[in-house]
Amino acid sequence: MSTREDRREFLASLLAGGCAACLLSGACGIDPALAQDAASGTSLIPPTDSDLPLSPARWWKPLDGGRIECGLCPKKCRVADMERGMCGVRENRGGKYWTLVHSRPCTIHIDPIEKKPFYHVLPGTGSLSLAAPGCNIECRFCQNWQIAQVRPEQVRTFELRPEQVAALARKYHTPTIACTYTEPVVWSEYVYDIGAVAKKAGVRTLLVSNGFINEEPLGDLLKVLGAVKIDLKSFREKFYKEVCHGELKPVLETLKRLKKHGTWTEIVVLVIPTLNDSKEEFRDLAKFVANELGPETPVHFTRFHPSFRLRNLPRTPVRTLEIAHDIAKKEGLWFPYVGNVPGHPYNSTYCPGCGAMVIQRTGMAVLENRLKDGRCPKCGHEIPGIWS
Amino acid sequence: MAIDRERRQVLGKLLAGALAGWLTRVPLLAGARRGRPKGTAGKGGASAQASSLPDVVVARRKALQRQEAAPTPEAVADALGAAIARATGAKDPVAGLRSLLRPGDVVGVKLNCLAGRGLSPRPELVRALVGWLLEAGVAPRRIILFDRSTRELRRAGIVPSIFPAGVRVIGIDNDYDWTPREWGPSGSCFARVLVREISALVNVGVVKDHDLAGVSLGLKNWYGVIHNPNKMHDDGCYPYVAHLAAYPLIREKLRLTILDGIVAQAHGGPARSPKWTWPWGGMIVSATDPVAVDATGLRVIEDRRRELGLPSLAEEKRAPRWLAEAARLGLGKADVERIRLVEA
Repeated sequence: MSTREDRREFLASLLAGGCAACLLSGACGIDPALAQDAASGTSLIPPTDSDLPLSPARWWKPLDGGRIECGLCPKKCRVADMERGMCGVRENRGGKYWTLVHSRPCTIHIDPIEKKPFYHVLPGTGSLSLAAPGCNIECRFCQNWQIAQVRPEQVRTFELRPEQVAALARKYHTPTIACTYTEPVVWSEYVYDIGAVAKKAGVRTLLVSNGFINEEPLGDLLKVLGAVKIDLKSFREKFYKEVCHGELKPVLETLKRLKKHGTWTEIVVLVIPTLNDSKEEFRDLAKFVANELGPETPVHFTRFHPSFRLRNLPRTPVRTLEIAHDIAKKEGLWFPYVGNVPGHPYNSTYCPGCGAMVIQRTGMAVLENRLKDGRCPKCGHEIPGIWS
Repeated sequence: MAIDRERRQVLGKLLAGALAGWLTRVPLLAGARRGRPKGTAGKGGASAQASSLPDVVVARRKALQRQEAAPTPEAVADALGAAIARATGAKDPVAGLRSLLRPGDVVGVKLNCLAGRGLSPRPELVRALVGWLLEAGVAPRRIILFDRSTRELRRAGIVPSIFPAGVRVIGIDNDYDWTPREWGPSGSCFARVLVREISALVNVGVVKDHDLAGVSLGLKNWYGVIHNPNKMHDDGCYPYVAHLAAYPLIREKLRLTILDGIVAQAHGGPARSPKWTWPWGGMIVSATDPVAVDATGLRVIEDRRRELGLPSLAEEKRAPRWLAEAARLGLGKADVERIRLVEA
């Protein structure tokens, strides 16, 4: 049964148009064609820690005795000389703070934008997706831990400057660049510089993040970002503390700041059996989104698969995701989705005015986009998002 | 062979017990001479002492305390040899090391070379240790001196050319066993050499302050065998230091802990900060209690801080709370009142 089910899911993923590059080179690899372009003239040999590239970090302040305090995320790491922050990618050398991952991605693919997932941003397009190593929290269920929960010298990286990233997006006709897979907050300098160059080239930069970032760097990033997806791991502090080594409150603050700024934002909630799957939690979360962010904010309830340090729990029952969806609907959200379940009816977008299906999807593939100038073709209701 | 080893251990322990009464009369740390709580050999009754080794041995030498000249290899070996012998209840360090090892053991000596030369285990000490391991019958290829990177080992002067042929000097250099393992509240990938080869561990740390952990002595040194130490530094490294040391891959292999305190640092760590170093001129060694080693090292640092007029680590809100957690996990004694400390 299990084998047949896996096979069905695998085929469904293929049908759904799962990124060919990913299938060829693995989730944490490099699209061979892109690698050839990206790495021309550079080495793909993993650097040793003695030759990690250094680039000045932003958002920090000096302390006494050569120590510094990082201001990038709420951890506010105090870092002594020769030490790194919790992210493992920012290092104090002689009282100055440096990033070790600027222009050093470890992964690059062209993904369907629905894989991020963005369901209300240029549906059906490809997004040049890249990651540099590192993360500022540590989820026990991390799906990309081989690149997110490591230090930069522990993974193969290559040089790719921001202008090269923008040039690749132009070359491959992707209207967006997604900073994704790991935690882009910890390589914010690189994200910012990519965003600034890409903006001039007419390419939008997307952030796929845990939202664990301080106000000042977020404000700077928003000057160059086109849209943001936030992984809301749970609506309970306890979960954040015990399962993610993080905090909920700063993430909620980030969501509110995104709303205030007017940046298009979608939310993903990975539903994990027994850990964050209670009806009360779904309800609290949906109320927060409806009241603080607005009912137009898409929320994707996605299916958990055992990974990294959380292998003792089963995959999320589809029924649980449907319950989350229904509760969100009942609390007034217009666009709750079910994710990681290809072919499910709740992969699609329905008009909040008349209920008509306006974008039909299965998994990461758009089967039909019926929107007309961002409106429902049946009743004319405006469907919020970035459509052109 | 196993029976031989047990016999040696029993004899060693008897010898240690016989000496214990005499040793309790010997002044121990400088602090003890000034009336601070000293080694408490004697508490718990003579019969308890007779059947056990000291928790901690401190070996200090005037020859190691000179500011003007580097200590000679002979002075280093004299102190270390006496400490190992005393900690194992053996007649000399070779016999002591032999009593700790099984035939065929691959001995991993974990060094802490982050701070570079001057505040890392000094090459003379490591050479002496290696020499005795060879004399104890460990084949050169079965001795692995390791730390997290070749670069740091080299900066500390730990290079293959200063050791007999065959002894391996290994920087982990990101060669981890890429299978995440759960330990305590966290999870990590461990150095492949530790997972696959090493069967017995000798922990060689230093005596220094640590900005976040409070101190970096023996237990904190294990951060150097995991792929993600940066994840374990918040909240004063609590409770991570303790739980990592309790992980079976480390706990079950650990045979001996040595702190090189010839030069120690009371503030400004973990990097070397000459302003805060001083020639404490000794070593802290234990074959039985890695927590007591750290509790003793902590006291050395706190004493020095007091002498310098610095606030205590507790006053700076960075007392190593993980030490009590290590005791709670059964790794050893954190309470200096209960530690049986002797001088060699």
